[in-house]
Amino acid sequence: MSLAGKKAIRYILALFLIASLNFAIPRLLPGDPLTNLLGEDVILTEGSAQELRLKMGLDQPWSYQYLEYWRSLMRLDLGYSFHLHRPVSGLISDRMKWTLLLAVPPLITGSILGTILGALAGWRRSCRSQKVQTALFLAIYCTPPYLLSLIVLYLFAFQLGLFPMKGFYSTGSIQDIVHHLFLPALMMTLFTLSRNYMIMRGSVLQEKSSLYAAFARAKGLYDKEILFRHVFRNALLPIITLLALDFGFILSGALFIEIVFSMNGMGSLIYDALLSRDYPVLQGSFLIITIMVVSANLLADLLYSRLDPRVRWQ
Amino acid sequence: MPDRKADSAASGAVAIKGKKECFGCCSRKAPRERPWGGLEAGKAGSIGLSLFLAFLLMAAFSPLLAPFDPWLRFEPYLEPSWNHLLGTNDMGHDILSELIYGSRVSLSVGFGAALMATIIGTAVGLFSGYFKGTLDEILMGATDIFLMIPQIPLIIVLAAYLRPSFWLVAILMGALWWTSTARVVRSKALQIREMGYVRAKRSLGFSHLNIILSDILPNISHVLMPKFMLSIASAMIAEASISFLGLGDATMKSWGMMINFAFSRGGFINGYWWWYLFPGLFITLFVLSVVLIGFVLEENDEANLRLE
Repeated sequence: MSLAGKKAIRYILALFLIASLNFAIPRLLPGDPLTNLLGEDVILTEGSAQELRLKMGLDQPWSYQYLEYWRSLMRLDLGYSFHLHRPVSGLISDRMKWTLLLAVPPLITGSILGTILGALAGWRRSCRSQKVQTALFLAIYCTPPYLLSLIVLYLFAFQLGLFPMKGFYSTGSIQDIVHHLFLPALMMTLFTLSRNYMIMRGSVLQEKSSLYAAFARAKGLYDKEILFRHVFRNALLPIITLLALDFGFILSGALFIEIVFSMNGMGSLIYDALLSRDYPVLQGSFLIITIMVVSANLLADLLYSRLDPRVRWQ
Repeated sequence: MPDRKADSAASGAVAIKGKKECFGCCSRKAPRERPWGGLEAGKAGSIGLSLFLAFLLMAAFSPLLAPFDPWLRFEPYLEPSWNHLLGTNDMGHDILSELIYGSRVSLSVGFGAALMATIIGTAVGLFSGYFKGTLDEILMGATDIFLMIPQIPLIIVLAAYLRPSFWLVAILMGALWWTSTARVVRSKALQIREMGYVRAKRSLGFSHLNIILSDILPNISHVLMPKFMLSIASAMIAEASISFLGLGDATMKSWGMMINFAFSRGGFINGYWWWYLFPGLFITLFVLSVVLIGFVLEENDEANLRLE
């Protein structure tokens, strides 16, 4: 089988497994499946509970329920939040754009800055300023992102009053949004930057001692030329895959940062759903996040095969 | 620094020569390049190691080190002072004592998860690298799939239903974190299975299990240690994050739980910084110690490989 076929099967299997897991969790785990599907704070009379049970097909055999589940997924129906009185898919699409606004621009700037700074740090390892920089990013790398956000929020918003304490609202002007978004976006950038920095630094350290770098040096190329024309390109390759695998982690980091800054994105949606045990929202969010992570991986695979001529899909 | 350049160029040449001539049995080792650049390797490693040991001792001798019982109640919201070095929380518990006892919970979760991840990852990697073929395809396919699952959101969903004890959180993390270990172990096992001594043993009719356990496993142990350390780090960060959402074990005071209480019970809004800052600092320092040890081990290992 071709490489592309194998990869495709893996992606499809991953999505299939996650979706099936989502089906199984509320039905298999202890507790009444109806409560598990609707959420804990929904109080129903005996009659309406029975009615809902019938309507949701909980009295039917599992095979039927499973097929029904897939059918509703195909219709993009992720269930109904009784807590918020809205369909889950609508809730998520409302919130997702704010999360993406918070996550994607810092992801891009963080990756670019992180790879360049990391490459320089790996190249000039013994230089003093690089060591200080590495120590700084290592410390950020080791701190849970929400903790750093808490400290920064306390210092800059609470004590100094330079930034708003709480979230941002879709009614505001662009200036207003930027003002609200600045601190959380900065935290996200630092968070992605530190991760890419550490990976790239290690990658360049490895590539640096390879023969082609020594040859380039023997040809008399300048240091910067060797780094950016030769070493950087080779060191960058593993980064692309790692970046995609990291995407899920970074997205989770964004969720936590949102909670700390009380922004109305996916993170707060999940947090509120957790507090009220609003299971449909939790499950829907998990499914959507998985789909995003899997697509990021697919994108990385495609990009990789374009950048590295040794990897070609038949 | 002309001689440094010449040095590394020379070591590159050795690497190529070595690869051709050496079948993993040579004891000759070229003077090895220090990974963190001379002194720093020692420095970074020893900072990590001493921090790590300090935390281990803290967990082992909590009752001796803690000034008070962590459940003993004093006046609430006391600022750090000589009586209460790190202040007290809303219940009047002494924060320093809570932190010292909390190290037991946090460290056990980290170690438990990392141990489980390493065991699963090693088993999967060994089998798929040694047997190759269909088994390899299946196991690596499973690894790829597990790699793509967003772990923290999955744990959040499961924990929301299960209201877990902290052991369950550790097991869940262990069951999700094994993938990178499995990949590294597999690539090592693929190399080692072609070595002369493994072939010799196979031709003598030793069982596969025997070869895996007594020849391949000992030869990959050096890549397991840094992986184990880095798994502890990610397990600790994940535990802290999950506890922060209030999904941890409320009866166990882990460091993450302490931050969660501070955040959800108004410690943040009222500016009681000592309540959440110190647990956070402990998490960061412990993760830092583990990551430093892991990186130094990893880079040492890579430096050895280049010159072997």
